[in-house]
Amino acid sequence: MSPNDLKYHKEHTWVRIKGKKATIGITHYAQESLGDIVYLELPDMDAEVDKDTEIAEIESTKATSAIIAPVSGKIIEVNDDLSESPEIINEDPYEKGWIAVIEMSNTKEIEGLLDPKDYDKYVEEEAK
Amino acid sequence: MAEKRLIVLGAGPGGYVAAIKAAQLGAKVTIIEDTEVGGTCLNRGCIPTKALIASAEAIDKINRAEEYGIEIKGEINCNLSKIIERKNKVVAIQVKGIRALFKSWGIELLEGRGKIKDVNNVDVALKDGSSRTSEGDNIIIATGSRPARISLFSFDGKDIITSDEALNITEIPKGVLIVGAGVIGCEFAFILKELGAEVTIVEMLSHAVATEDEEISEILERELKKRKIKLILNTKIEKIERGSDGSLTAFLSDGKQIKTEKVLVSIGRALNTENIGLEGLDIKKGKKGEIEVNSRMETNVKGIYAIGDVIGGIMLAHVASTEGIVAAENIMGHSREMDYNIVPAGIFTMPEIGSVGLREKQAKEMGLDIKIGRFQFRGLGKAHAMGEIAGMAKIIADAKTDRVLGLHIIGAHAADLVHEGAVAMRLGAKAKDIATTIHAHPTLSEAIMEASEDLHKIAIHMPKA
Repeated sequence: MSPNDLKYHKEHTWVRIKGKKATIGITHYAQESLGDIVYLELPDMDAEVDKDTEIAEIESTKATSAIIAPVSGKIIEVNDDLSESPEIINEDPYEKGWIAVIEMSNTKEIEGLLDPKDYDKYVEEEAK
Repeated sequence: MAEKRLIVLGAGPGGYVAAIKAAQLGAKVTIIEDTEVGGTCLNRGCIPTKALIASAEAIDKINRAEEYGIEIKGEINCNLSKIIERKNKVVAIQVKGIRALFKSWGIELLEGRGKIKDVNNVDVALKDGSSRTSEGDNIIIATGSRPARISLFSFDGKDIITSDEALNITEIPKGVLIVGAGVIGCEFAFILKELGAEVTIVEMLSHAVATEDEEISEILERELKKRKIKLILNTKIEKIERGSDGSLTAFLSDGKQIKTEKVLVSIGRALNTENIGLEGLDIKKGKKGEIEVNSRMETNVKGIYAIGDVIGGIMLAHVASTEGIVAAENIMGHSREMDYNIVPAGIFTMPEIGSVGLREKQAKEMGLDIKIGRFQFRGLGKAHAMGEIAGMAKIIADAKTDRVLGLHIIGAHAADLVHEGAVAMRLGAKAKDIATTIHAHPTLSEAIMEASEDLHKIAIHMPKA
C-alpha cells in the first residue's frame, strides 16, 4: 500500500504537499522495478520545471530512466545526500529518499494527481 | 624506368606512412621532420594522452577498489612526475619504432626544417645548423597542425595553456578551466579530474563532443556530472583576467565569472602552412587556409601532393595515414581515390566513445528513412563483471534495405568495438547480418548484436516494449 498522505503521478513519482511546496520522489514500485540504484542526476536548483516532463535521470544496475515532474514550478531544494548515496532511494523511497522540493506555480495541478488507492490500482494493472 | 625520388615534408602519421608505402613500392624517399618523428599523434596527441588516460583509469580503479572486494590500507599517492615519465617512455618506444622502420626501408630522415624551393627541390635547414637541398620527382606536404591559439587568451605556457603543455604539467592544479568540450577538452577533463583537480569545462555549443550522435553526447554529459566535472554549455568566454594574487578569472558570456588556477584552451587546431615555401608555388588554398587537394591527394601544382591535417578535412591520425597511402600509390603509378564515407573514430573519455557512419540527426537531415536499435551496457553480464555498466550501443540502418548506416557506442572499450560497424558498412551488411552473427559470450560486443536485434524489436535481453 502506498502511503496515504501522498499524491501520485502515473510516471511513478509521489508528491507531499505543504502549502505551495511539493516534495517529490519516486514510488516504492518504481524503485523496485529499477533495482539497485547506482546514480541519480539531481535536478538543477532554481530550474523551472513543467509537469509531465523529465527533470532528472536515474540509473540502476538494470536501466536508466527519466524522472517525470508530477507538478510544475521551481526547484527550491534538492536532496544532496542522494548524489553520494543514491541507494537511499531503494531503502526509503518515501522519506529519506525524497529527491527535490518544487515550489508549485499552479496548485490546481494537484487535482490531476492520483490518490494512493487509485495509484495502487494503476500499478496493479501495469504489472499484469 | 628510373627510380622515383619522393620528398615527404613532415613525419607525422600522414607523412611517415606515405614514406613507408612509397618505399615499399620502390621509391627512393627522403622525409623531413623539424620536431620528432611521429608528429602530433605520437608526441603531442593520440599516444601521450592515452598513456595519461591509462594512469587516470588506474586511479579510478583504485578509488573503486572496495567495489571489487579489495581493501587498500594506507595512503594512495599520485606521483605526477612518474606518470609523465611513463607517458614519455611509451612515446619514446613508438618513436624508436618508426625510426627503425625508416632504416629498414632505406628511407632518408632529415631532421630539420624543410622549405619547398620549387616543384623538385626542398631546402632543408638541418638541426645541426647546416643546410642542404633535396631533389625529388614528387613532394608530399604533410606538415600537420598545432593547437589553435586565439588572441583572446594570453597564452603563457604555464597558467594559460594548450594540450601541448598540458601533457607535461609538473604540478596538479587545484582548479582547471577547460575552454572547449570537444574531443581534446573532454579527454583532458577526465585525466585532470582523476589526478585530483577540480575541472570546469565551458563550451560554446549545446553539447559536449558535439560532432557525435546527440544521445552519445548526452550520456557523456551525464558521466562528466557523475565525476563532478562541471560542464557549462551554450556559453562563451569573453575574456580572462589575472588578479593581483596571480589567480585567473574567466568572464563568461552569461555574465558569470569563474576563478581558476589554470586555463586549458582546446578550441581546435591551426594548420601548419607557414614558412614551408607555399608562397612561391601558387598552391591553391581554401577559406581556412587549408591546402586544396583532389580525391587523389593532388594539389593544383603538378607533382605536389598534400595529406593530413594540413588539407583541413577530418583531423584524425588514421585518416592522414590513409591519405598518405593513397598519395604514395598514385605517385608510384597506381590509381586510387580517397573515400571518406567510412571513418571510425575513438574518443578516450571515461567511458570511451567509438563512432562510425551517420549520426541520427545527420541521417534525418539527409531525408533518409532509418531504423534505430539500442542496447545498454548494463544489460550485459560482462559489463557487470567488469564493473563498467555505463554505456550504450546505438545502431542506425536504412529502414527499407536494413543496410548499416552508422554505429555509435559509448562504454568500456567502445573505440575498439566500433570497428564491427565499420566492416559491416564496408561490406554493405544489414543490421540483421550483425544480429544473426554469433557473438561470443560474455563480451561487450554482445551490445552491438543486441542493438541490431533491437532494431528489429527482437532483442533477447530486453523486456517487451
